[in-house]
Amino acid sequence: MEVLLFGLIAERAGTHRIELSANSTSELKDRLAERIEGLAALSYAIAVDRRIQHGDMPLKGTEEIAVLPPFAGG
Amino acid sequence: MDTEAARSPHKKRDIFVEGPIDPAFIATSIARHATRTDIGAHEIFLGQVRADRVAGADDHPSGRSVTAIEYTAYRDMALERMTAIREEAFAQWPSMTCLHVHHSLGTIKAGELCFMVFASAPHRAAAREAVAWVVDRIKAELPIFGKEIVEGGGHIWKSNG
Repeated sequence: MEVLLFGLIAERAGTHRIELSANSTSELKDRLAERIEGLAALSYAIAVDRRIQHGDMPLKGTEEIAVLPPFAGG
Repeated sequence: MDTEAARSPHKKRDIFVEGPIDPAFIATSIARHATRTDIGAHEIFLGQVRADRVAGADDHPSGRSVTAIEYTAYRDMALERMTAIREEAFAQWPSMTCLHVHHSLGTIKAGELCFMVFASAPHRAAAREAVAWVVDRIKAELPIFGKEIVEGGGHIWKSNG
């Protein structure tokens, strides 16, 4: 699945999109930590189909996934 | 951006503008409401980029200033959240005549305007309360990211948390 990256997370990854596969949001976090150095030390949220998911959630692979660093609007 | 369109809370509209918000645009926005004689109060919040001092380093013991903020957003999610916030605002303040929201993307220099929330209502309480509430919700819930550019090079990622 394609994962959208924003702000500081995109900067650390050196890209705004990465391709990976995961069956759940917790597995997604593990895969992301393998790909993005220092991710564990950063604050971020996972959005599934444009909604932030707090707990673990199964993924079909067709969802729109995004990794969001802290918001800074205003 | 006519006021009739701004009344409908359900329509998904773009709030993002490239570059700073021009004070002349704000004046024009106010003037557009002249025909709506049921309005008795306008409330406007404007966000301006502040030249924050960044903690001093060895080479700059007195600290350095933020010269600009570079804004990016997860556009689709931000607009979905904004539509939901609008719907809630109109439900909470049903007398509100209209609500206009604009947020900048791209590089906004210190002293320039980056955010505007403009509500109108027959009486001031609804407009005032709605603006304060909408500003707080936007800052907390819209996926907008800000890279503070520091004088002399370097940057810091801004966080509302």
